Amino acid sequence: MLENFSFRTIVEYLPLFGQGFAATLWLSIVSFAGALAVGIILCAMNLQRSRLLQLPAKIYIDAIRATPLLAQLYFLYFGLPRLGVVLPELIVGILALALNSGAYIAEIIRAGILSISRGQVEAGIASGMTYSQRMRLVILPQAIRVTIPPLLGQAIVLVKDSALLSLISVAELTRAGQLLASDRFMPAEGFLTTAACYLVLYYGLKSLAVLSARWLGVRPIGSRT
Amino acid sequence: MIEFRGVNKWFGALHVLKDITLSVEPREVVVVCGPSGSGKSTLIRCINGLETIKDGDLVVDGQRLGDRATNMTELRTEIGFVFQAFNLYPHKTALENVTLAPIHVRKIARGEAEASGREMLAKVGLGDKFNAYPSELSGGQQQRVAIARCLCMRPKIMLFDEPTSALDPEMISEVLDVMVGVAEEGMTMMVVTHEMGFARKVAQRVVFMDAGAVVETGTPEEFFSDPKTDRSRAFLSKILRH
Repeated sequence: MLENFSFRTIVEYLPLFGQGFAATLWLSIVSFAGALAVGIILCAMNLQRSRLLQLPAKIYIDAIRATPLLAQLYFLYFGLPRLGVVLPELIVGILALALNSGAYIAEIIRAGILSISRGQVEAGIASGMTYSQRMRLVILPQAIRVTIPPLLGQAIVLVKDSALLSLISVAELTRAGQLLASDRFMPAEGFLTTAACYLVLYYGLKSLAVLSARWLGVRPIGSRT
Repeated sequence: MIEFRGVNKWFGALHVLKDITLSVEPREVVVVCGPSGSGKSTLIRCINGLETIKDGDLVVDGQRLGDRATNMTELRTEIGFVFQAFNLYPHKTALENVTLAPIHVRKIARGEAEASGREMLAKVGLGDKFNAYPSELSGGQQQRVAIARCLCMRPKIMLFDEPTSALDPEMISEVLDVMVGVAEEGMTMMVVTHEMGFARKVAQRVVFMDAGAVVETGTPEEFFSDPKTDRSRAFLSKILRH
């Protein structure tokens, strides 16, 4: 079986995979940054008392979570030009990932904020802090600690989701595998190499998660009662 | 300093404060007691607006709560509130806990706030715990930090909501000693507690509440030795039996 497996072709295609790896890495970083911005805005809207701000955020989050990312991507890629908005594939891809992941991130941040006990809010209120002071000094610093591990989990999901961009011919990792598969009829070599590259990215993010957990663990949290 | 006039409050259909009329003079120490669910916590939480009242007047430090002219955030800086569960900020050290509001709310310079924070922590007996996080402190130590946190704001009024109820018995006295010290310095205080020793020592008046109403008020002497109502007699017999 292995005699049919061409390591030489893989080596030949390594520069292509290198480019794909770099592309997946940086477009994931840009998308994740965008997703964080979208998530923070959505979460802020969702936590307001005003229905006018809360409702659009809730509808958006539900709509994104209820529909497949592929459908969202195709809507942006094929649908938007029909509505007169023509964007390069790469931008469409990053936009789709950021808008999609943003909805999940909004919920992750909200869960983090709501996990902070009512007593913390009341301590802030009682000492005369305004809403924004309480958020900035008391709630968010505690919420961020709870939020970082699931956020890194979401980052891993985003990296894997970025494979879908190969379908709109963005030159990333999965696309590199597809090229090897179709040029040389070597799908095993192509997609195994792609998978190996994702594994490297995954372990990179995972060790980041471990490091952050250790860093967050430096300061003890949680009061004994 | 604090004046309730015909105050009522409901939680849904539950009438939690019934026509409360009560006033606390400057430098007076008032102990509020009563069975659980009698509305005593709700009563003092109304004073700094953690709860809102439905009708009647509540005037604190010359300002009527609920008035447009009353800035609640500003008024709260004059009122210290000590919680049953301490509610220290777990991500901050003891010193950071006591300086956070002075720096950000009172806008006191950091150096100055830290100097008075250290002084205040030393005063409550925690001169060696400036850099300890709440999770590294015992319950009694945490509650003393919480009291120091209030005192650092130089409040005019201190409210205590069952400050020793969450503590192990051997830690109760270290917190009560600090509270006695605060009272002896002339602070206006309202204390929800069943610590009758504390009431006898520093309170000018004891208010007994039951089912949302003030049933009896009197000096600690009168209240403990000669309670006027059946309900207060029943209550006292339960808590003093132990």
